[in-house]
Amino acid sequence: MKAFQYATAHSADSARELVAGKGAYLAGGNDLLGLLKEYLISADLLVNIKSLPGLNKIEHGRKFWTIGSLVTVAQIEDDADIKKTFPGLHEAAAEVASQQIRNVATVGGNLAQHSRCWYFRHRDTVCLKKDGDLCYARNGENRYHSLFTGNTCISPVVSSLATIFASLEATAIVLRDGKETRMSMAELYQRAWENPLAHNSLSNGDLILRVEIPTARTRSAYLQASDKHAFDWALVSCAAAAEIVDGKLKSPRVALGSISPVPHQVEAANQFLDGKVLDEATATQAADLILKDAKPLEHNAYKVPLAHALIRRTLLKLKGEA
Amino acid sequence: MKKMEPENRGAFSRRTFFKSLGTVAATAATAQVTSVAAELEKVNAEKIIGPAAVPVTLKVNGEKLKLMLEPRVTLLDALRNYSSLTGAKEGCDRATCGACTVLLGDTPIYSCQKLAIEAQGVEITTVEGLAKNEKLSKVQQAFLTKDALQCGYCTPGFVMSVTALLKKNPRPNAADVKHACAGNTCRCGTHPRILAAALQAAGIETASKTEVIDYV
Repeated sequence: MKAFQYATAHSADSARELVAGKGAYLAGGNDLLGLLKEYLISADLLVNIKSLPGLNKIEHGRKFWTIGSLVTVAQIEDDADIKKTFPGLHEAAAEVASQQIRNVATVGGNLAQHSRCWYFRHRDTVCLKKDGDLCYARNGENRYHSLFTGNTCISPVVSSLATIFASLEATAIVLRDGKETRMSMAELYQRAWENPLAHNSLSNGDLILRVEIPTARTRSAYLQASDKHAFDWALVSCAAAAEIVDGKLKSPRVALGSISPVPHQVEAANQFLDGKVLDEATATQAADLILKDAKPLEHNAYKVPLAHALIRRTLLKLKGEA
Repeated sequence: MKKMEPENRGAFSRRTFFKSLGTVAATAATAQVTSVAAELEKVNAEKIIGPAAVPVTLKVNGEKLKLMLEPRVTLLDALRNYSSLTGAKEGCDRATCGACTVLLGDTPIYSCQKLAIEAQGVEITTVEGLAKNEKLSKVQQAFLTKDALQCGYCTPGFVMSVTALLKKNPRPNAADVKHACAGNTCRCGTHPRILAAALQAAGIETASKTEVIDYV
C-alpha cells in the first residue's frame, strides 16, 4: 500500500469535506484495503466513518425498516427480528464471505464494493474499468462474467445484499453534495450498466447513509450457487419477495446477482407472477421470461440453466412455511 | 507460555529492524505525547494525521503496546513486525486464508485487512493471549488432543475462530463449527480433526481420531 493520511470523521458533513479530493471513506475496509494493496486505486487520505452517529442501527417502522449503512453484515445475520421479517435478507447476509469478514463488513461497503473481475483485480491489466481500451474477459476467461450488459464491460455486480434489497424494493439513501438522494437498487447500479468505468452510480464523495426496506412483502427468500460450499462469491444469486394473499402472489419481485452489472430484474416476469398461484409451472415460465435475452459468452453459458434452476427454487421457497 | 524474543536469533532480521525502529521512536514520542494526549484527542478529533508514523496504542492480551506506526500499517503487521507477537500468521494478506485471525473484543477478524490505527481502544486477543499461567485454553488443548494440525501454520487462526464461536455459542453443532471456520483454510487438510477438536472443546465427544468425519 502507498502511504496515506488518516482522519476520523464525526459527522457526515465533515466526512464529505475531508474526503474531497483524493480521499476515500473507510468503514469495514475489506474492499478498500484490497484495492489499495493491489495499487488498483490510490488515496491520499482515508477518512474513517465508523464513528458517524446514527448509522449503525436497525430501526423497525410499520411501513418500512431502516438499516444504517454502518450496520455490519454479521449484525444482520444475527438479528432475530430480521430473520423473522425479512428471511431472505438473513439468508443473503449469512452467505456473505466468512465470519471474519461479516464481522467488519458494512451494508454500505457491501453495496459499494468494486468489481471482482479477475482482469480488473489484476494490477498489471489495464482493462476498460481502468480506462483501458479492451475488455480482456470478453475473449478471455469469462466463466464468472455477465449474461447481460448495456456496455462493453462484462463484469457483474456481486453484492448479495443488492440482490435481496432489489427484490424487497429497498431504497438507498445517499448523501450527495450535502443533500439526501433516494435511489432504488436499479438506480444505484444504473451507471455500471451504461459506463464500463463505473462500479455503481456513486460519484466521488457520495456516501450511502441507510437503506429503507418496505415491510409489505412478508415473504422473501435468497439462494446462491457457488463453486465452494462456503466463503465464495456467487456464480449466480437469486432473491424473491412477495406477499401471499389467498394463496396468490401479490407484488412479487425477483432479482438476480452476478449475471449483470445491475441486479437483474425483468418487469414482465414480475407482472406475469402477480396474482398467480405459485407452482412448478409458473416458476418455470417466470424463469424463462427472466432469462429470455441472456447472451452467454464462451465460458459462462452454464449460468443460464443454473440461474433458471435458482429462480424456480427461490420462488418455490417463498411458498415455504407461513 | 514464554514469549519468544526475536533478538534470540542473533542475526539481523526484517522483524528486529522494524521492531527496533518502532520502540526507539515510540519511547521518544510517547514521553511528550501522553501528558496532553487526552486533551489533544478531543480538540483534534478530526485532525488529519500521517502519512508519517504516529503514536498508536494497542491493547493486546491485556497489555498496552505503545508503537509508532504509519496509518497504512495493518494490525497484523503491527503485531508481527513492530512487536514480538508472531502468533497471528501472514498467509494471503488479502482477507482470504484466515491465518491472521485475531479477536477484536469477542469478534474474530482478519488482522491483515484492518489498520492498526483503527484497532485502538478495543481489547485485542491473539493466540498468545489464550493460555493462562502456562495452561493451555480448552480450545488449544483440544487441538492437541485431537491432533488437529499438520504443519500448524493455519492453527492459530482456527484456534481463534473456534474460541470466538464458543464464546458466542457454547454448544455448537457441526454445522455451526463449519460456518464459523469457513473463513479459515488448512492446506494440509486437517479439517475433520479441527471439527472434532472444536466439538471436544465444547464438551461434545466425537468419534476417535482415526475415523473420518465428513466435512462437506
